[in-house]
Amino acid sequence: MGWISNSITRQRRTLHFGAVILLSGILAIGGTPINRYVSQVVFTGFYYPFFKIRNSVEELYQVSQENYRLRQSLVEASVTISMNEETRRENDRFRSVLLYDPPPGYTLLPAKVISVYGNRLPILATINRGAHDSVVVDQPVINQEGLIGRVVTVTPDYATVQLLTHPANRVAARVGESREMGIVKYSADEGMTLDNLPVQSTIAAGDLIISSGLGGIYPAGLIVGTVIEVTRPEDEPFCRVHIRPLANFNSIEELFILKVVN
Amino acid sequence: MTRLIPYLLYLLLVGLHQVILKDVTMIYNATINLPAFLVLAIAIYKSETSSIWFGFLVGVVMAGGMHYRIGWHALILASLALAAFHYRQRLNLDSMYSRVMLISGGVFVHNILSLVVNQPDAFIYQLWSNALLGAVYTALVVWVFFLFKDGKITFQKFKAIF
Repeated sequence: MGWISNSITRQRRTLHFGAVILLSGILAIGGTPINRYVSQVVFTGFYYPFFKIRNSVEELYQVSQENYRLRQSLVEASVTISMNEETRRENDRFRSVLLYDPPPGYTLLPAKVISVYGNRLPILATINRGAHDSVVVDQPVINQEGLIGRVVTVTPDYATVQLLTHPANRVAARVGESREMGIVKYSADEGMTLDNLPVQSTIAAGDLIISSGLGGIYPAGLIVGTVIEVTRPEDEPFCRVHIRPLANFNSIEELFILKVVN
Repeated sequence: MTRLIPYLLYLLLVGLHQVILKDVTMIYNATINLPAFLVLAIAIYKSETSSIWFGFLVGVVMAGGMHYRIGWHALILASLALAAFHYRQRLNLDSMYSRVMLISGGVFVHNILSLVVNQPDAFIYQLWSNALLGAVYTALVVWVFFLFKDGKITFQKFKAIF
């Protein structure tokens, strides 16, 4: 028996390779159940975990790509919505302007505000209309809410509007109910006030202040604001009338120049 | 039993390569032949018996998706391992370049034999576009591997470049 074990030991290499050839030969006969079983075992043990990882990574990548696309779409949709919202607001403003009738003898020339100047409140505004559009100095400027100011300088393509909030601006005005007259001015300390109104005046909070047409710049009937407070000092001849302008000077966008019809 | 763990990890690495790394590292149709590289490296550093059986198992794992070709791939890699082992015994493999040459040559032979088994119809075209380019690509990877293994490149040296 010793010679057998010696022979096996000597031929060990050959036996190993022979076994490999034999197994390979068995597996080389394609389509047998052994092949399919081995393939299934290899697939389950060595491929399947990595296929799962690969699929998960691919899925994650696809989800990430989709997420990126959706974010882009969301941004685009938000921009579109905000643009639509802006268009709607503009539309509302234009609709309200369409309902506005200019004073007799005047036509409306639309203009867009391209810049404003001022510290707390805008006091000057530059508009995109100028001498080429027949804009001249001292033309009144309004918007759908009321009187805004007057043109003070004109260049061929642009004009500057002095707003009612400018300290140098004065408007000859009257009280809508009592027809009493005064001068509207604005100061940083007191805000908009109606001066030169006697203490005997019947003016009260809530009264409408409109332009009187005196002074030659603003036509009569343009709304300036409403009275918010009236004080009658005993030792002074005039009331102190505080007015809230109807126009919001912080949000002026589209303005209208009142042009005299020739 | 613990001696078998590295071989099992190598087989898992072959599975990982077949499923993920092969596609990720492909350059112009040339792929790294990691199964052949592993078998030849084992043949260089381990015993003959280990090399033959490892070659056989790598062949089985590598062709796991094509059950009718498992036997051929197992036989090719086992034979390659045996041949590489005997070359290693007869050659002076102290030189890194001789090891790279042996593995590159082995990979090229394996690529050719795999083509004969898998795609005999497109053999001539694939010989250059796939087998040769793949062997060159694998040789580069093997060269970098041996540079690291022999300590000619270390991470400290690599970091020192920057």
